Amino acid sequence: MPGSGPQSASRARVLVRRATPFAALAAVFAVQALASADPVVAFPLYLAVVLLVSLQQDRAESVTVAVVAAIAVLIRPLAATGQASEVAPAVLLAAVLVAVAIAMNELTRHSREAAAAAQHKVDEIAASEQRLRATLESAQVGLALAHLDGRWVEVNEPLAAMLGRSCDEVVHGSLGEIVIADDRAALEEGLALLRAGDVTRWDAAIHLARADGAEVAAAAFIARIPNAAAGGASLLVQLADISARSRAEQLRDCAGAVRQIIVTAVGLEGALPQLLGAFCDQLDWDVAQYWSPDADGQSMRARQASTVSDAPLEGFLHASRGLGVRSGAGLIGRVWRSGVVAAEEDIELNADYDRMVAAHSAGLRSVVAFAVIDGGEVIGVIELASEKVRSLQDDEVTMLATAGVEIGQFIRRTETAQALRRSEADHRAIYERSPIGIARISSGGELLEANPALLHMLEHDEETMRMSAWPDLMRAYDQAASRQRKAPFLAGITDGSSVQVRAATAAGSWLWLQLTATSIPDSSGRPEHVLVMVEDVTAVRETSDKLGEALEAQRDANANLEKIDHTKSEFLSIVSHEFRTALTGIQGFSELIRDGGLEADEVRAYGGYIFNDADRVNRLIGDMLDLDRMESGRMSMRTSDVDINDVLMEAISRAAPSAVSVEFKSDLDPRLPIVSGDRDRLIQVVSNLVNNAVKYSPEGGTVTLSSRVEGQYALVSVTDTGIGIPQDEIAHVFERFRRVRSGAAQSIPGTGLGLTIVKQIVEMHGGKIWVESAVGHGSSFHFTIPLTAEGVKALQLRHA
Amino acid sequence: MPEANADESSAFRVLVADDNEVAQRLCKRVLEKAGYPVLIAADGLQAVDIALRERPAMILMDVAMPGIDGLEAMRRIKVEIPGMPIVIASAHSMASDRERFLAAGADNVLSKPFRLADLISIVEQLASVR
Repeated sequence: MPGSGPQSASRARVLVRRATPFAALAAVFAVQALASADPVVAFPLYLAVVLLVSLQQDRAESVTVAVVAAIAVLIRPLAATGQASEVAPAVLLAAVLVAVAIAMNELTRHSREAAAAAQHKVDEIAASEQRLRATLESAQVGLALAHLDGRWVEVNEPLAAMLGRSCDEVVHGSLGEIVIADDRAALEEGLALLRAGDVTRWDAAIHLARADGAEVAAAAFIARIPNAAAGGASLLVQLADISARSRAEQLRDCAGAVRQIIVTAVGLEGALPQLLGAFCDQLDWDVAQYWSPDADGQSMRARQASTVSDAPLEGFLHASRGLGVRSGAGLIGRVWRSGVVAAEEDIELNADYDRMVAAHSAGLRSVVAFAVIDGGEVIGVIELASEKVRSLQDDEVTMLATAGVEIGQFIRRTETAQALRRSEADHRAIYERSPIGIARISSGGELLEANPALLHMLEHDEETMRMSAWPDLMRAYDQAASRQRKAPFLAGITDGSSVQVRAATAAGSWLWLQLTATSIPDSSGRPEHVLVMVEDVTAVRETSDKLGEALEAQRDANANLEKIDHTKSEFLSIVSHEFRTALTGIQGFSELIRDGGLEADEVRAYGGYIFNDADRVNRLIGDMLDLDRMESGRMSMRTSDVDINDVLMEAISRAAPSAVSVEFKSDLDPRLPIVSGDRDRLIQVVSNLVNNAVKYSPEGGTVTLSSRVEGQYALVSVTDTGIGIPQDEIAHVFERFRRVRSGAAQSIPGTGLGLTIVKQIVEMHGGKIWVESAVGHGSSFHFTIPLTAEGVKALQLRHA
Repeated sequence: MPEANADESSAFRVLVADDNEVAQRLCKRVLEKAGYPVLIAADGLQAVDIALRERPAMILMDVAMPGIDGLEAMRRIKVEIPGMPIVIASAHSMASDRERFLAAGADNVLSKPFRLADLISIVEQLASVR
């Protein structure tokens, strides 16, 4: 049969199908031609072919076949006769053939279109159903269809997985059973509203009850969808697992709460219950306990616990309090040793938990413990326990570990702060009650604070102390430091060096204060301020000063004694030399005389030598005794009115006879008042000076004596033109036995006591003696004797 | 006692150096009487001058003299004439002084005041050595 189907892929078959009608027509035409039959006879056959083609083939083909058939009908009459009477029926027949083909073709086209439309509808319904099923199956959220009464129609795999069951298990239950007991009422209420048609959609955050007893946070969306076939409605249920999101929020809230507590807490005691409470509340644990090591560090004990208010956990807490956990032992011990978060997700399945029995009877299922860490050291462990089986997620582990570190730092901070507060209190007490003065000084040297002892010591109030007393002390410090070659106060005090300074109190008494400065560096090491300890060392200092003075006096006395001893030795040596020199002549010449055999003039001359030396010895002894009496204050003066000019003239007259080589001059003030004195002693003074002048003068020298009034004194000068006294000897000329030893002076004999005696006598009269001299030019000895009151008055009268 | 009229060059001449005239006269009188010619110096510098110029047989030297003292004079003389016998005659007559003088190079020490016989024997002893 031609045209077995339009879908045929084979061109050959198409050709065959298309060719078949033409072959049939050709066969009919051939038969007609052979039989020479009238086309009318063959017409039914042509019609049958056209009808068949029109039913099966499309319009163009049907018409083509019809036209060919019409031509076949027409060929014979046209070819045989060409007469219109014979051709007309043939034309009619041909027209019928074409018309039939067109009509038939139209008919089949209509019927075919109607069938195609019906088939399409069926296909569409099937595809839609397919899509819905695929959607349900492939959706990542839980999707389900349910009857209004809650019975499931269909449940997808994700929804079943959320509940920890298979689809079949779920489908046999009902919608109301998927949530935990706490959420069931709310769900039923929502379903009632949907059922009544009061709402067409309902959504809520619910907790799904998993088959294993855990619960999963989910967002539920339930829509009422009309069901045309049943005339009622169905429920489309969507469930999204939001446990991860809600846990993240919980963790974030918990971390925030922990931080809030840490930031606002005053001390660990107050903060710890809050922290444990925050873990219970925010992370939904039933009990939280803080464990920390004993003082000896050998074991940990539960120090503090927090429970949700209605949890009957006393037995568990009691068991915890009675436990001493060693490092590495059990859950707490493992965390203590490792510092890593550890958990028992379901202690029913693991008999290793150390408070198994107590936990069991308290209904606890999950525990987690994390370390409280400071600086890498585990200083405590926080243990959380729950009545639910909980699987611990990575983000929660991270959060707990982080919280452990933050709490650890907080504990260390509070301990440090407490230590600081204690230290501060100690220091404050020391500062306030110390008997030592303490001043806090800025790096610029200003007094910041002075303790009561310092104020009391100097009897100042703080203001006076700051404004005047302290700056004074600073100056005194710097002066004392400079004397000791130490740095001044502000130039870097790090060594706690001390100086002692003198300071006046407000009441005006003087203290010795020992200042010890210590600089207190800031965190960068620069001196931030300076502490100065001020000790009143007056008593110590005075004692030591007295000791020092006594020592000094003793040293002086010793030195004096040594000097006296030395002077005495020197004196003895000189005196014995003088005596022996004199005795040399006395002894030698007397021995000559004694041995006899001398001329008379020899004996006389030798007797003269002996006499002179004996006289010299006598004078020496006299001078020594005089000096001793004067120095010991045992010499009395025979005081009377004395005319100084008269004394000077007498001295000249005594010296002149034996001093023929020098010329005497006098320059006497005739109006010199009478003085009060010992005339013989004054003559001794002047004679001594005159004799010296003569002795130290060369031949033809001049010795000048002068007198005049000098203020309330009579001034006497004895001036020579002699050898003079070297500058370095002038200061010593009045010392005993200090004869000028150098140069020509050495040849001058003398006791060496004359000027010492002269000085004593002048001073006994209340006068002074001094000398001016130039080597080679001569010397001037000057001395003063005070005038009497009458003498001064007379002088004034004279001047008036 | 023999007069000291012997030949000047062969006589044992003694230089007496002393600033004290009494001492000078005493020594001169005693030594000349004993037969020793005496030269006199009144201070240290004179003593050095005369000693070097006159080359006496020995020197009797006082210590406490003007100018340079007897010890300094002795030092200077001994530099020029190391063998010159010098006797220190001093009124510094403590034991320590004697040691001091001998240490300074004195050939002998005569403490003042002295017995005339001691003076003579010291001189004679030196004269006999020569």
